[in-house]
Amino acid sequence: MIERFGAGWAVDAAIVGVTFNRAGKIAAYAAGDGVVQLHGPGVGEPKLVTAHPDAGALVVAQDVTEGGFLTGGDDGRLVRIGADGSAQEVVGFGGAWVEHVASHDESGLIVAGVGKKAHLLSPKGQRAVEHASTVGGVAIAPNGKRLAVAHYGGVSLWWTGSEGPPRVLVWKGSHIAITWSPDGKYVVTATQDRELHGWRLADSQDMRMSGYAGKANSLSWCDKPASLATSGADVAVIWPFAGKDGPMGKPPVELGGGNQVLVTQVAFDPAAASIVLGFDDGTIERVILSDGNRQTIRAAGGGRIVALAWSPDGRFLAFGGENGACGLVDIAAADAG
Amino acid sequence: MPDPQPVPVTVLTGFLGAGKTTLLNRILTEPHGKRYAVIVNEFGEIGIDNQLVVGADEEVFEMNNGCICCTVRGDLIRIIGGLMKRRGRFDGIIVETTGLADPAPVAQTFFVDDDVRRQTKLDAVVTVVDARHLRQSLAEHNHEAEDQIAFADVLILNKTDLVSAAELAEVEMAVRRINAFAPIHRATRGDVALAAILDRGSFDLDRILKVSPDFLTAGHSHDREHAGSFSFTLDKPVDSDRFQNWIRTVSAVAGDNLLRCKGILDVGGPRRFVFHGVRMQLDGDYGKPWTPGEKRESQFVVIGRKLDETALRSGFEACVRTDA
Repeated sequence: MIERFGAGWAVDAAIVGVTFNRAGKIAAYAAGDGVVQLHGPGVGEPKLVTAHPDAGALVVAQDVTEGGFLTGGDDGRLVRIGADGSAQEVVGFGGAWVEHVASHDESGLIVAGVGKKAHLLSPKGQRAVEHASTVGGVAIAPNGKRLAVAHYGGVSLWWTGSEGPPRVLVWKGSHIAITWSPDGKYVVTATQDRELHGWRLADSQDMRMSGYAGKANSLSWCDKPASLATSGADVAVIWPFAGKDGPMGKPPVELGGGNQVLVTQVAFDPAAASIVLGFDDGTIERVILSDGNRQTIRAAGGGRIVALAWSPDGRFLAFGGENGACGLVDIAAADAG
Repeated sequence: MPDPQPVPVTVLTGFLGAGKTTLLNRILTEPHGKRYAVIVNEFGEIGIDNQLVVGADEEVFEMNNGCICCTVRGDLIRIIGGLMKRRGRFDGIIVETTGLADPAPVAQTFFVDDDVRRQTKLDAVVTVVDARHLRQSLAEHNHEAEDQIAFADVLILNKTDLVSAAELAEVEMAVRRINAFAPIHRATRGDVALAAILDRGSFDLDRILKVSPDFLTAGHSHDREHAGSFSFTLDKPVDSDRFQNWIRTVSAVAGDNLLRCKGILDVGGPRRFVFHGVRMQLDGDYGKPWTPGEKRESQFVVIGRKLDETALRSGFEACVRTDA
């Protein structure tokens, strides 16, 4: 599909993350050489932004603004990138790696995970919350009122608008990725032990989701019916979250793949009509949810897919690979034939 | 970017004051043409400016995988993951551990974590021993000192200028009793040839494990509280399935008391089967082919505490192929 309805290219650095801005017209591809590429209908000619000179980017996220992006680097800097290709340091953390970044547009909150601390930057000011071990992931609640931080031994839930001790959700092991369900009722982590762990926040009910061959650290939600897709097997593993007990006692649905190649990335499209799978061998596959029809977006080759991102309107799919593969596909044009 | 090769990782251990930092500074400053990313615990001790020096926290995490003694270095998984995003900037990684560190979680990280396994290979565990203070550490029944020696693929006996010839011989003997297999290099202020430390491929195991029988623990059964080395040899082909079942049982029963094991086996096929283990984590694969006319034999070496040599020997012998 990519040959007819998109573009694929490669850079000489590992892609660490890909995301669209909130306006949905520009995709940012952040790389281990500190350079961020901007592509898409919103930029005209692609732009190269040296966000972390002589260093590397570790993470990229949408900014709180419509057009911009945020990157964290191994130079200890949180950088804001404008749609015009500008790069400006937001905060410096003295060389400590900025490994996790999240933002919330309505509240204007930005969170950066640096070592054992999560730094909360809001229009009202800046503060930091600290944990007993290094932060493994950060997720802001859909309503912006709480921050969930994954770490060794569980998750800490902080109020974003006020000080005070966290509510701690305890589960042994190292938690390496975290997500909040779109309805705000569940927090789910991926663990070092190749499991998912979830908590129903109303009553702290634990949910174990196991059986993975690899780490399930790519997580993607679908609204209707409420479900969570994960990487970590040779198929996309999709857990049902509709109903009051979530996935407890229900088997997951398996989609796509099936060729003993590890799924490394999953992404539902924003309208939840399809799911895209990125594989360890560079393959990208799309599965239409209504009829199970499968489309190959990109053939194998060029190394592991490490990032997939849909534009918010569901028109474009952007991807990036561990060995520098990049691409942008016009899915709407492909669907129109 | 082409599909990259796994990056070699050297783990540098040794007690506080043994001379790790001096050795590390030498590795970073000598003109060997290689670039190293360094993961250290004490920032500021490194005397040179290297942007790829990363501070670590030694976060030892228990795995939740049903294996009671399986611990990994969570910070190492995270830092190696970050470094691999800049893999074009270095040829190898050096991990320095603190003096009191248990070397097992570091070594186990290279067996247990999928991403670390995929992107790196453990090249060697290099242990620096202080010739002047070792006997005292061992006399204090210091498990960390013993474990660091037991886990070593390369041993540096440092500060040899500060002891007499007789003391040095005694210290070397004490080290050999624990680890009969790793080469020992005597050094003053860490002046050992870097080729003896780096790019060893110790975990490739495609090398003959030459051992002087004098240093094996056989006959030292009264001393089983201390770590010691055993070696077993068979001149008949081994059944690989039977062997793998047996070695899994041995490691499960011995638990923390099994520190390291290695082996090169003749399983009757064209290639030798090589394996190694750190505590209960085992890994094996086919290695170099046997050359025509080469004497085929199977060798299994183990370092640990409270191990029953007789049971190990008979267990190993029971793995001989019955169809051959």
